[in-house]
Amino acid sequence: MLKIIARRVFVAIPTLVLVTLIVFGLQKILPGDPLLTMAGEERDPQVLAFLREKYRLDDPFHVQYLAWLGNVLTGDFGNSLRTGVPVSTLIAQKLPVTLQLAVMAIIMAMLIGIPAGIIAAVRKGTVTDYAANAVALSGMSIPNFWLGIILIMIVSVQWRLLPASGYVPLTEDPLQSLRTMLMPSFVLGTALAAYLMRHTRSAMLGVLTSDYIRTARAKGLLPKTVILKHALRNALMPIVTLSTLLFGELLAGAVLTEQVFTIPGFGKLIVDAVFTRDYAVVQGVVLCTAVGFIFMNLIADVLYILINPRLRHPQ
Amino acid sequence: MSRPQALDDGTMQSVSPVTAPVLAVKDFSLTFKAGAETNLVESVSFSVSPGKTLCIVGESGCGKSVTSLALMGLLPSPPARIVSGTAEFNGRNLFAMPERARADLRGNEMAMIFQEPMTSLNPAFTVGQQIAEGIMRHRDVSKGEARAEALKMLEWVRIPAPEKRLDAYPHQLSGGMRQRVMIAMALANRPKLLIADEPTTALDVTIQAQILALVRQIQAETGTAMILITHDLGVVAEVADDVAVMYAGRIVESGPVEAIFGDPQHPYTIGLFGSVPSLGRRQGRLATIKGAVPPLDLMPKGCRFAPRCPLADSRCHDEVPPTVPFGDGHSAACWYAPIEQTMEARQ
Ligand SMILES: Nc1ncnc2c1ncn2[C@@H]1O[C@H](COP(=O)(O)OP(=O)(O)O)[C@@H](O)[C@H]1O
Ligand code: SF4
Ligand SMILES: [Mg+2]
Repeated sequence: MLKIIARRVFVAIPTLVLVTLIVFGLQKILPGDPLLTMAGEERDPQVLAFLREKYRLDDPFHVQYLAWLGNVLTGDFGNSLRTGVPVSTLIAQKLPVTLQLAVMAIIMAMLIGIPAGIIAAVRKGTVTDYAANAVALSGMSIPNFWLGIILIMIVSVQWRLLPASGYVPLTEDPLQSLRTMLMPSFVLGTALAAYLMRHTRSAMLGVLTSDYIRTARAKGLLPKTVILKHALRNALMPIVTLSTLLFGELLAGAVLTEQVFTIPGFGKLIVDAVFTRDYAVVQGVVLCTAVGFIFMNLIADVLYILINPRLRHPQ
Repeated sequence: MSRPQALDDGTMQSVSPVTAPVLAVKDFSLTFKAGAETNLVESVSFSVSPGKTLCIVGESGCGKSVTSLALMGLLPSPPARIVSGTAEFNGRNLFAMPERARADLRGNEMAMIFQEPMTSLNPAFTVGQQIAEGIMRHRDVSKGEARAEALKMLEWVRIPAPEKRLDAYPHQLSGGMRQRVMIAMALANRPKLLIADEPTTALDVTIQAQILALVRQIQAETGTAMILITHDLGVVAEVADDVAVMYAGRIVESGPVEAIFGDPQHPYTIGLFGSVPSLGRRQGRLATIKGAVPPLDLMPKGCRFAPRCPLADSRCHDEVPPTVPFGDGHSAACWYAPIEQTMEARQ
């Protein structure tokens, strides 16, 4: 089994290299000369020359790339072109925020989506099934920012139950931190729950008609055991894979939701960076997100192996 | 050979001593389509006694599997609907029992082995877990005791290296081994009735014989009643005490195995068994009869075999034939039974 996992890790390496190449290469072909931004209004030729030297802009592409990659590997993503703060510092500040939001949102999505999918599959063709599908469809089509605003108006403004915005670090005040993140993660979670519900439903439908489910019932097992043990265990793979990938997407930050709830996460960082043409920050965040996504893919692969006895115990 | 002599044969009367049957099915009809005029299974009756084997034979699609699944309570309903009939299992009508009570019987007092050993075990759990689970469901035993009992069952069904197999996943076993596991699972709680739906059809010929020998030996050891659905006439001759011949959802002939082989009375049975009826081991599957079973909506009102029967006349097409008894439990549903008299009269 370790060999299979090692192989998956190995296969991920070319993808990583490709991603760094793209991130680095894109920067080169982006319009606008970042040096001009950095050199300020005067555009002193000496300053420009110094900067060209510093960023090795006269070296061939592969030399530039390797130098950059070397820095990235040591955790040096360069400095913000605007504020001069190291990009790694910015990322280290925002990552916990985005991570907490992503974890809470995916838990929310799984808590809603998986049970709903199971129930819809078991009650296939009944009112419950249609209702679950209708709710899922609206979950997918209601924009997050709209749901966020409505929730703020009702839950925060009218009922005064939860804070409308902001961010409290988990380490500072855990309860308040969870309370602040509850609404944004619910907004993100419900949207994803819809996808999870539909995938869970179709995976369960596929499994429920299989011969071994009939065998489980022939043993006299009660519906609860048949569905939650024998069927769900086999429907789990697509559910786990999807959950992992959705989580990877959440790591990229949720631009609109973060905006609505004024959460200082990745989404806000990247939007601010894009609007101020702070390419160094954009590059760092994009790279981080891409690596995070590749990592989640790897996790999905490993979980797949762990869940599947056929892969765990080859013949 | 003439029929009355066969009836007078002393050995035949001793075949079915009078004991209360484990299962007695009466007038069982089943449909999948609401409001359909023709039932998929129509007015089926049979019974099986402790320690005895009833073989149900008939062409593919005639309703053998749905009948056994209905008895086990494993048919999804809807769409399946039991239109009429009773199934007395140890005196209690299965069809009138609440679902929970039937689940208590399943895998406990009545068990079933399926045709598809490759797909009937859950790929996500070990063989030991799957056998132990059924034991724990019906008996008040600990996990460890259930595991020990599962091991005993694996030994009993002659699985080599049973300790090792206990922790094997189904994909690590061959088809024959998987069917042995299914048998172990079905028998783990010593059922009074075992339904085996073509248990060897999907297996290699050599494995078929082994599995069949195993099933027979286990039945001899436990005295369980068995309903064996099979295509193989050799198997029927070897293991059956009684035979029910099904055609298009109806039982057209039934009786002790000697009577069915030695003195078939229904034109369909005669066609199945070929022209020379004789008792003893036969190789091969059922003989093929010209024509095909009509689809349900084109089924004749009268005898369902009429479109393929060489003796059919207009009465056969229009009126359901009576079930004619010949004594000793042998009967056939045909307007022209007993058939020798008809043939003589026509000559
Ligand atoms: N769930 C179902 N819905 C509708 N028809 C079914 C269903 N299951 C089986 N049938 C029909 O019942 C008939 C008898 O099937 P079956 O009992 O499997 O035959 P066999 O005698 O070969 O075991 C077949 O024609 C099949 O099409
Ligand atoms: S009732 Fe008529 S059609 Fe049916 S089997 Fe007998 S002779 Fe043939
Ligand atoms: Mg069948």
